[in-house]
Amino acid sequence: MAIACETLIDGLLLGALYALFGLGLSISLGVMRMINIAHGDFIVVGAYLTSLTMQLAGVQPLASLIVVVPAMFILGWLLQRLLLNRVVGGSMFAPLLVTFGLSVIIQNLLQETFTADTRSLQAGDIAGRGFEVGSISIGILPLLSASVAVLLFALTHLLVARTHFGRQSRAVADDPATARLIGVDDKNFFAVVTGFVFAVIAIASVLYAMRTPFSPSAGPERLLYSFEAVVLGGLGSLWGTLVGGLVIGVAQLFGARISSGLGPFFGHLIFLLLLLARPNGFFNRQAR
Amino acid sequence: MSEPAVLSVQRNDDGGARPWRFAGGLPIALVLVVVVLALLPWYADFATERLLVEVFTLFAIAFAWNLLAGYGGMVAIGQYAFVGIGSYSLFAISDAFHLNPWLVLPIATLCTATAALIFAGPMFRLSGAYFAVGTWVLAEMTRIAALNTGWLGAGAGMPLEMIGEFDRWSRNAYVYWAALVVGVGSFAIGAVVLRSRLGLALMSVRDSEAAALACGVPATRARLSLWVIAAAITGTAGAVSYMSTLQVTPDASFSLNWTASAIFIVVLGGIGTIEGPVIGTAVYFALRETFADFGAWYFIGLGSLAVATMIVAPGGAWSLLARYANIDPFGIRRRMPDDASGNHRRSDDCPA
Amino acid sequence: MLRTEGLRACYGLFQALFDVNIRVGPSEMVALIGSNGAGKSTLFRSIVGSVRVSPQSVWLDDVAVGGDSERRQLDRGVVLVPEGRRLFPSLSVLENLQLAARNGRRGQWTIERLFDELSVLRPLGKRPATSLSGGQQQLVAIGRALVANPSYLLCDEVSLGLSPLAVTDVYGLLRKASAGGTGIVLVEQTVNRALSESDRFYCLQKGRVMLEGESAAADRAKVAEAYFGV
Repeated sequence: MAIACETLIDGLLLGALYALFGLGLSISLGVMRMINIAHGDFIVVGAYLTSLTMQLAGVQPLASLIVVVPAMFILGWLLQRLLLNRVVGGSMFAPLLVTFGLSVIIQNLLQETFTADTRSLQAGDIAGRGFEVGSISIGILPLLSASVAVLLFALTHLLVARTHFGRQSRAVADDPATARLIGVDDKNFFAVVTGFVFAVIAIASVLYAMRTPFSPSAGPERLLYSFEAVVLGGLGSLWGTLVGGLVIGVAQLFGARISSGLGPFFGHLIFLLLLLARPNGFFNRQAR
Repeated sequence: MSEPAVLSVQRNDDGGARPWRFAGGLPIALVLVVVVLALLPWYADFATERLLVEVFTLFAIAFAWNLLAGYGGMVAIGQYAFVGIGSYSLFAISDAFHLNPWLVLPIATLCTATAALIFAGPMFRLSGAYFAVGTWVLAEMTRIAALNTGWLGAGAGMPLEMIGEFDRWSRNAYVYWAALVVGVGSFAIGAVVLRSRLGLALMSVRDSEAAALACGVPATRARLSLWVIAAAITGTAGAVSYMSTLQVTPDASFSLNWTASAIFIVVLGGIGTIEGPVIGTAVYFALRETFADFGAWYFIGLGSLAVATMIVAPGGAWSLLARYANIDPFGIRRRMPDDASGNHRRSDDCPA
Repeated sequence: MLRTEGLRACYGLFQALFDVNIRVGPSEMVALIGSNGAGKSTLFRSIVGSVRVSPQSVWLDDVAVGGDSERRQLDRGVVLVPEGRRLFPSLSVLENLQLAARNGRRGQWTIERLFDELSVLRPLGKRPATSLSGGQQQLVAIGRALVANPSYLLCDEVSLGLSPLAVTDVYGLLRKASAGGTGIVLVEQTVNRALSESDRFYCLQKGRVMLEGESAAADRAKVAEAYFGV
């Protein structure tokens, strides 16, 4: 019983991180109706950036956020402005295929620069530390990641609900053509949105790199988990993505209990089964 | 009663001229080429044979991907699942029942088709980009399943035992011919399908699903048929490809690289055209033979080329060729619809 | 003065507007009359930047502004109220207005002033915009354009589907806007109302201006002929 509880809690904590992976995807899907196939690869880019910053500046991973978050924001802004704006809003193919090509480019660039070896961050004091609640042990780092994830969801919710930027996002998600009529400047706005998405990716990537070894080819798996979180949660629903992520995390860890190599498999399986049961996700608010 | 004004169409996008098509010369030319290729085992070495096996099987896989994406509107990133399923069924059944692999090939095709039917259940609830990534999820599941299945050899995979019964020349020749059949056959199937009612149905659905449904086009059934056909082609090509390598492993046969190569070929050659994959395959292998030594930089270059093509010339090499030379050899030209969102955003400037 | 000069617009190969010349000055109310498919919406969308046209086909105070983006036209004070209201369902009434006000220009039309003029809207501020009645939504849609303080307001299908009372409210608002200096071009299906509410009119048929003139002196028979093409 204690094991089941512990697995559940670990799964929820892991799932919160997956939800954070999915947060960025959810935003760009909602506002720009676009899946960035290279989404997971950019999470890995963030991880490598963090590693680099730690090496060059000799700082702890969390401190490297100061550099990584702005750097990723700028990267996202530039990517959207220079490349992705050319394919947004047109046929469904172009964004998919362009970002697919981007994914290949990034994975190989990372491999050239950092070799194909897996790498891990020295998370310092935090890694491996935990505390006991009854007979269940909870890791500090997973708890931290989950808390940051929930915090970011809350902040994003506030951003979307209360700010001008959020209003523009909702307007564009509703009706891009009319949004243009009341002054939403597509090119710049989308660039800012993608910048924000990348800032979220940056935070997710630091937390991810602190708890898991990563390599240049780790991207696609992150994308799949992000995707599952978003689709299960229901499109257009921010908090749905959080729920979706939690479900995937729990499914994976219970699956790993059953058979150690099959964690992700069970995550995928649960995803498909739930998709069959509720094709629009739990909290769908937007037509696909 | 004044004359009803009609649409004022400025110009025929072909420039008014009917496109050039192969006339009676085409069938003869094709037969000649196939005959020459069929005789290859007698005048070429094993290395060339092996290369051509790769060419034909990859062409077939790319062609199948193009059918799905360009004519069915289904971008299937997870297409590589069928490569794995086709090759594993071939190896497993041949090994288990000690059967001649070539006789098992049609069974492998059947297995893949069946898998496609089963996959369609969950997958057809998704569309667009969601379908694309959904098939990827499914493909990953099949890979992990194969990786963790003991009697399929788990991580180490399986050899094709029965192929040892054949001498080297025969083995290479038979595999080569199988690949030739797969390559030419997939093209022939594609051409036939696209000029059939199924093809018409698919193109109408792609242009406007609502209108097609209103006309009674069975959209889902059409897509399902295409899905199964494409899967069968892919599975067969995968099976033949691994007959050539003699060993099938999960990480190689259930590898995204198959889809990546297919995508590059189709994008470079011209998505949604029947000639595109032909050009694309030629370009792909030309590039590979020239630049593969550059390792990661080769892939970076390939990816960049694909990205650039999608942005600058979304119709690929064939569209450039066809536009300038105004040719349509097989009579199945179609263009990608520009704007799926229905917004009349920036229309073209009026022709001067 | 906002005017078009030899305006041509195409959707791909299909030409929707042929050599259209219209103009509207400050405080003027100009009616655009024509059946469905005549090109009225296309004309508006060409002026405001949703459809690309040549720079010399649209002039604002003797500056060629054709072909610029919707954002830039908004900055210049040319705003479109689109057909079908098109309020944002995910935003409240107030948020719809705030969005436009923030993106638009400073001027006499603030959200406060709008609520003063249309007191019926004030208590509805927090409600989802599309939960209002048709008439109320149209008022919000026009208000949304007004709070961007346009010099020229283009209103597509002003009264379609509205009750007579709602139509009165809508025209009341438009007249207030016009009185404040804004030039207004509106599309109105009911010919009589179009002529009685406007200073001048244009009849559009199949992308061409067939008739124009002073509304007060309009010959109904000629207008009907231009409208129906009989």
